[in-house]
Amino acid sequence: MRALEDLNPITAAVYFLAVSGIAMFSMNPVLLVISLAGAVLFFLVRNGSRSAASHLWMFGLFLLLFLVNPLFSHNGATVLFVLNDNPVTLEATVYGAAASVMVVSVLYWFRSFTQIMTSDKLLYLFGSLSPKLALVMSMGLRYVPLFSRQASKIGQAQTALGLYKDDNLVDRFRGGVRIFSVLVTWALENGIVTADSMAARGFGCGRRSRFSIFRFTSADFLVLTVTLLLFASAAVSLGSGALLFTYYPSIKPPDPTPLALSGCISYGLLALLPSILEAEEKIRWTCLKLKI
Amino acid sequence: MDLLKAENLTFTYPLTDPPAVSDVSFRIGEGSFAVLCGATGSGKSTLLRLLKRELVPLGEKSGRVLFCGVETEEIPASESARSVGFVMQNPEQQIVTDKVWHELAFGLENLGTPQPVIARRVAEMAGYFGIESWYEKNTSDLSGGQKQLLNLAAVMVMNPKILILDEPTAQLDPIAASEFITTLKKLNSDFSLTVLVAEHRLEELIPACDSLLVMEKGRLIAEGPPRGVIRDLAGQTELMLSMPAAARLFRALGSEGECPLTVREGRRMIEGNYDGRIRSLPEKALPEKGDPALEFKDVWFRYGRNLPDVLRGLNLTACRNEIFCVLGGNGSGKSTALGCASGILRPYAGEIRVLGKKLKEYKNQSLYKNCLALLPQDVQTVFLRNTVREELVDAGVDAGDLPFDLSPLYDKHPYDCSGGEQQLVALAKVLATKPEVLLMDEPTKGLDAGKKRDIAEILRKLKASGVTVVIVTHDVEFAASAADRCAMFFRGSVVSTGAPEEFFSENNFYTTAAARMSKGIYDRVVTVEDLVRLCELNGKKGGGEAG
Repeated sequence: MRALEDLNPITAAVYFLAVSGIAMFSMNPVLLVISLAGAVLFFLVRNGSRSAASHLWMFGLFLLLFLVNPLFSHNGATVLFVLNDNPVTLEATVYGAAASVMVVSVLYWFRSFTQIMTSDKLLYLFGSLSPKLALVMSMGLRYVPLFSRQASKIGQAQTALGLYKDDNLVDRFRGGVRIFSVLVTWALENGIVTADSMAARGFGCGRRSRFSIFRFTSADFLVLTVTLLLFASAAVSLGSGALLFTYYPSIKPPDPTPLALSGCISYGLLALLPSILEAEEKIRWTCLKLKI
Repeated sequence: MDLLKAENLTFTYPLTDPPAVSDVSFRIGEGSFAVLCGATGSGKSTLLRLLKRELVPLGEKSGRVLFCGVETEEIPASESARSVGFVMQNPEQQIVTDKVWHELAFGLENLGTPQPVIARRVAEMAGYFGIESWYEKNTSDLSGGQKQLLNLAAVMVMNPKILILDEPTAQLDPIAASEFITTLKKLNSDFSLTVLVAEHRLEELIPACDSLLVMEKGRLIAEGPPRGVIRDLAGQTELMLSMPAAARLFRALGSEGECPLTVREGRRMIEGNYDGRIRSLPEKALPEKGDPALEFKDVWFRYGRNLPDVLRGLNLTACRNEIFCVLGGNGSGKSTALGCASGILRPYAGEIRVLGKKLKEYKNQSLYKNCLALLPQDVQTVFLRNTVREELVDAGVDAGDLPFDLSPLYDKHPYDCSGGEQQLVALAKVLATKPEVLLMDEPTKGLDAGKKRDIAEILRKLKASGVTVVIVTHDVEFAASAADRCAMFFRGSVVSTGAPEEFFSENNFYTTAAARMSKGIYDRVVTVEDLVRLCELNGKKGGGEAG
């Protein structure tokens, strides 16, 4: 089995949609904790101890969101204490905790998503919808670095020519405006060459086909099926109300029915799926190395 | 069989008077390697565009172009796109997409080729061109040589019958250019692919071609096997400048027999025909060294904390009133050194002095006032206005002070000027700051031999007016003819310096064609002109009057 990163972009995109979708539409604390655990675990498995500072920021965000709700929302039957004549309730505190777990877990899923779904993979996804859109995006992605490089080259050339009379901000701004305007001219001029190059290679001859380096393999099929099955199972439990967790006016957890349990287990497996794939691959490599 | 045939082709651009191409007829046989040469503005590009249906410019056209016996207008669109491959000059702008693999597939996608076929063709091409190792890279991260190779591969993937190239190596450094030309030769001999290439850099192309077409002012003035064409190019001194050194020597000496094209053939001609009694020309008196104008003292530079050093303890001194050429390969740090000297980049150790004063002591942009100026490699970055006139007024250029005339260009947009003209307009703008030290980065890139000679002439005039010129270049032949002193750059520092005569005759590989041709026969020869004079001094072997 291959890691999520090496699978087809469609598989990866469906997975992220499924796992974060459930987290976003449920306020059940068990599901949310599972989501957070799965997301953080996956991020750590992929990145190790790198970007340790960013975890602190995430924790800070978590605390902030956690504290805001009970301070502003005074719903709930159980008053913990009174702050400035305002009651702080147990229900609002728990609700705040659940909401912040949800936000942070979705953010963690999204961090892994941006790492895995690089520009060419996103392009492949949108290209499935429209080949024209894919080409336009691909050209756009090509022009961004081209422009920024040209802008800095023009800036340097003009500095050495004495465009900036003095070391001050106004002068710098004025120079920047002129560079931007000449950059537009440059882009139009040089766009003609690109257009010629496209025409010379038969652009506009007729229906375009689409080539991509991503293949849909049996591993993709397997992972996609498992993802969809687990998602369906969790969604059914969620939709039937078996996992409905009531916060207000007083906390009332759902009954541990088989449907609720199966939903939790399915979602747990779904959240752990990418970490399992990643770990399996690492273990396999270690075994292979040991054999050498 | 004739693959491509032009009959009485005439073309005039709208609102211009003389036709850009007039009454041109030629034929190119299947599997031949044809080279089209001519000065800038002789109509080469227009002619090539007329041969590719998709790129025919707007204007008035008469005459016919036949491809495999069919007029180009009548070939179906997809067939025309597929069978006539076209590669242009600028490597960067021809690339359409962001990934190498996508660029390779682009042409086939346009033709609606099914995915499995694209996969196979792209794989074949990537393998043949050695692209596999950078197959998944972003196109913006490639070097210039890689970009142009990708452009070639992206055309070859469509399996063309003829490949038309418009100055494909003009923007490349000599090593990349030479690799590109080798690839062309290989395609021609391995697949019998018909190639038609317009180029200024002819030293390596002409020995490989079997048909040479010469254009002048829109007319085809000669066509045929290269040796014959060169022999018959009577009175075309301007055109001869871009021919291989051996052929120029042959023509200048007025020799008879078969015209040599390669260094080896040229060497045989000298050995077989000329005496070797006088080994070298009388030594030129070395100009007295002035005060240092630009000094590097143990300068270290890197682009980022975790990146490797680009300048490693660079020591270099350019003296007042000399033309100093810095030569070296790609990525050796030459341009970076100019960046440091002009205060754009900041070295992390060492000291740079301009006119005896430390760079750090030039406060408030005073370095760029009447002191130092940099002409960058990409001269388009110098322009900010819509016409050359505005550009010059803006910079405060006094046309009378310039050592060259720009008046025919005044109403043109700077981007519409040719490469050589752009170079001159940019130079005019740079000179408006009245620099005492002028730094130039690759001033001869993409220019034909005639324009290079003009630039060298202008530099000499500037030097006479008291300007110190420091040039960074790949162009060995230009440095040999223009420089007072040369320095060889390697891995971030200077490994040797000297006057061109000693510098190039002591180098074995990194040297001019004339020096390679005369090595061991004569000493201290660097240019074809030197070699001609020396051969004439020695006289023919067994020749009575020379003895």
